[in-house]
Amino acid sequence: MSSANGVCRTLLGAAVWLAGAVALAAGPAPPAELHVVDHPNDAGTALDLRWQLSPDDQPDVTPRKVLRYDILRQAAAPGAPVPANGPAFQVIGEATYGAAKFTDPNCVRGTAYWYQVVAVAPGGGRSLAAASTAPAVPVMQLFDATRLWFGLLLGVVCLLILACIARARSGRPMHMRRIAGLEAVDEAVGRATEMGRTCLFVPGVQDINDMMTVAGLTVLARVAQTAAEYDSRVEVPTSRSLVMTAARETMQAAYAAAGRPEAYREDSVYYLTDEQFGYAAGVTGQMVRERPAACFYFGAFYAESLYLAETGNLIGAIQIAGTAESSQLPFFVAACDYTLIGEEFFAASAYLSGEPQQLGTLLGQDLGKLLGAALIVAGSVLATLGQLGPDGGSAAAGLRYLMNSILGSG
Amino acid sequence: MTSLTPAQIRVIVATDCGSTTTKAILIQYLDGQYRQTHRGEAPTTVEEPVADVTVGVVNALTELGELAGRRLIDDAGQIIRPATADAGCDIYISTSSAGGGLQMMVCGVVREMTGASAKRAALGAGAIVMEVLAANDRRRPHEQIQRIRELRPDMILISGGTDGGNLNQVVQIAELVAPAKPQPRFGGGYKMPVIFAGNRDAAPLVQQVFDDSVDLAIVDNLRPVLERENLGPARDKIHDLFLDHVMAHAPGYDKLIAWTDAPIMPTPGAVGNILETIARRQKINVVGVDIGGATTDAFSVFDGKFNRTVSANLGMSYSISNVCAEATLPSILRWVHFDMNERALRNRVKNKMVRPTTIPQTEEALVFEQAVAREALRLAYVQHREFATALKGVQQQRSVGDAFRQTAGGQCLIDNMRLDLLVASGGVLSHAPRMQQTAAMLIDAFEPEGVTTLAKDSIFMMPHLGVLAEVHPQAALEVFEKDCLVYLGTCIAAKGRGKPGRECFQYAVHTETGTITGAISCGEMRVVPLLPDARARLDLHPARGFDLGAGPGKPLECEVRGGTVGLIFDGRGRPLELPADHAACQALTSRWVAALDLYGGRATAAPAAS
Repeated sequence: MSSANGVCRTLLGAAVWLAGAVALAAGPAPPAELHVVDHPNDAGTALDLRWQLSPDDQPDVTPRKVLRYDILRQAAAPGAPVPANGPAFQVIGEATYGAAKFTDPNCVRGTAYWYQVVAVAPGGGRSLAAASTAPAVPVMQLFDATRLWFGLLLGVVCLLILACIARARSGRPMHMRRIAGLEAVDEAVGRATEMGRTCLFVPGVQDINDMMTVAGLTVLARVAQTAAEYDSRVEVPTSRSLVMTAARETMQAAYAAAGRPEAYREDSVYYLTDEQFGYAAGVTGQMVRERPAACFYFGAFYAESLYLAETGNLIGAIQIAGTAESSQLPFFVAACDYTLIGEEFFAASAYLSGEPQQLGTLLGQDLGKLLGAALIVAGSVLATLGQLGPDGGSAAAGLRYLMNSILGSG
Repeated sequence: MTSLTPAQIRVIVATDCGSTTTKAILIQYLDGQYRQTHRGEAPTTVEEPVADVTVGVVNALTELGELAGRRLIDDAGQIIRPATADAGCDIYISTSSAGGGLQMMVCGVVREMTGASAKRAALGAGAIVMEVLAANDRRRPHEQIQRIRELRPDMILISGGTDGGNLNQVVQIAELVAPAKPQPRFGGGYKMPVIFAGNRDAAPLVQQVFDDSVDLAIVDNLRPVLERENLGPARDKIHDLFLDHVMAHAPGYDKLIAWTDAPIMPTPGAVGNILETIARRQKINVVGVDIGGATTDAFSVFDGKFNRTVSANLGMSYSISNVCAEATLPSILRWVHFDMNERALRNRVKNKMVRPTTIPQTEEALVFEQAVAREALRLAYVQHREFATALKGVQQQRSVGDAFRQTAGGQCLIDNMRLDLLVASGGVLSHAPRMQQTAAMLIDAFEPEGVTTLAKDSIFMMPHLGVLAEVHPQAALEVFEKDCLVYLGTCIAAKGRGKPGRECFQYAVHTETGTITGAISCGEMRVVPLLPDARARLDLHPARGFDLGAGPGKPLECEVRGGTVGLIFDGRGRPLELPADHAACQALTSRWVAALDLYGGRATAAPAAS
């Protein structure tokens, strides 16, 4: 009797397990109302899908009845009708449980797509598919509305630059802060002339494709022209062959501009080595031997900056440096007589030439930076005010708008 | 040279032989101190028909002797020495600017370095620098030679290169000068003096370049290293050659040189000498100005560094047209507090130029002349500030803290806030009918900041005292302090800008008789009388943003001296700016004229010129 009861209990348990297994294998309830729309503000390569979650996708039910949603897609041949449940549907992605949207980023502009969404249970059971009711076609938008603020700010800066150029061209005086380092070029070359020694110009250790090297050559033109006028000599050791060629061209043009083309000597610009410290050793050795009275360091510098500047200081030279390498600036500031810091270095071209177009551009860019600084200040104020109230109020909303809409998408 | 010790010198006679007038003064030791007692003058006789400078000197000394009741010239026409109870003097000294003074050309390798040092040496010695020749002056060698030939300097100073430095370019300069064979003003037998004060290694080579047609003198390098100037040897040599060459060739100067007990100095050099001595002895910063008919000399001593400039085209008669051209008539008229007919003013300017000895006959003419003087002084001071700079080409010492405070070399030495004494000289300043006018001209032109004492040279005595300082410094200082300077008062001016009507600073003047307090508004001027010999303690409280010397907004306590005008509180702010609108400007200047009582209580009168 007891054995008969045990058999019955076993059979009943097996039946319950089997019923459960069958239920799971049958899949969860399907999602519904699949809508497919074009993804906004793109180049026509994405579509957005939204659907209603499966009724079995409940966060408080354990174990979960829905593990994920498979996204299936079928591209329609141009002009051909496509059945809603055609055999060519392929899984292109998946969304986790609880997610009711998906963006398909791999579409081809102008192609029509059909989509299906299937809820998948943890055991692999699949629901019936929720299908799109009409084909969706990704479309390209000419303007990205999310970048409207960025465009607006860019437009304002451009207009400011144009206005500043026009103002400069009209002959109205433009105030430009004096850059002591560039003013001192004449003084440094003059010192070398009076002392009967050379000027040394080091254009950095980077190649000609580096903006700092290019900016350095602009300053070289000024130094060479001044040296030509003073009948002084400039030595330019380089670490790149292309820089050597460019420096020679620059020097030759500068001597011609000074009206003394015959004084230009090609061998005053020469190549040492590409090796960073080999170059530094070569230059410092020359400094100790020839004791130039003026040393100029304009370009990209790394660890060798302090070797060069300290050696120059040791030999009593007037030293002027300019680089945008912020890590090297403290060394130059401490060891040199004058240092052009970051933007000053790039402004050198406009400063030295005094051309209205360049001066106007410089002023316009500065106004643009002022605008950026104003936005930073506004953000800081809003963030501070947002911390004062319990929920931040309008300040927090303003900050969110500033971050997400004005700055975030820019 | 006199063999007397300074203690034995009791009676001093000094003359200044100017282009038109020879001025003589008598200094005597009375009641334990040296005082200037009498003054006489006579026309200078360096030109034909007399052509002997000593005749004018004798005439001036004769007048001086008559006024003083002391016979100074004997029957043979000689100065009586030594002094007795009622005749003669212990020493006789003189300065000279007759015949255009000392005119020099200077040369250097780099214009802003050794060129500037050479110019400083020449100006400091009292010369007028006609030209600065430099390797970097952007002229071709043939243009430089042409320029040398056009000039007729009395002397040439060549500098260039540090010791052991540039050799080639220094010799090249000499090679430009030598073949150009510059012609002296005094023609024929005059050997052009050339002083070489450059790189000592170049001296033998320079010697080879010049032949016997010039008198070459080699002195120590005036810029042995770029960090230091050594102007003394070059300056002394200029003085020596001035006597040996320039003076020796001027009519009668050989006799005058024999008469004097100290070397004759160029007049501006002597003025600079006394100002330098005063600044050094009293440890103060001084600015002096001497405005003449053709030129304006500006002198400054800041932190012991002496500078002198000659603005050759800024003056009140021969150069008045140039002042009007440089400053422009609207700039001049902003100092005039009533309407003037512009056409009539132009005529007035030209008349003054062709008749340089005329003086204003109407109040309108006086106001206009003083307005021109303000602009001439302002322009001369601008030029002086551009020249009075620290040495260029000097290595700077930096720290990381200097990242955003890097200043270029060659900064201006003049700081109006640290200026202690401002001395005026020259006809338009010395002979202004009212002392307030002199003070106003000085304040408007120089814009002193903080607390500055104003004074004027009473009878243009500074040249005499400058040369006296070489012989008897104590006598020079005593006379300078007691008789030479007429103290106008003290100017208290706040640096900063503010809206008209807003408070600029508060003051409290503590004197022996009591305390006067008050507040000065922006744009306001006020005079508080304080007698010339009186001193007062000032408590000053500048408003926020204004600086009276202790820093923006910081109170200041100081002792000031009075003067014929008194204490002048100036709330107009610095830099001084007048409204662009003509009517507003007139209204403002009228207020200042009334506040300082410049023209006898009439602030807005004076009809328009017809």
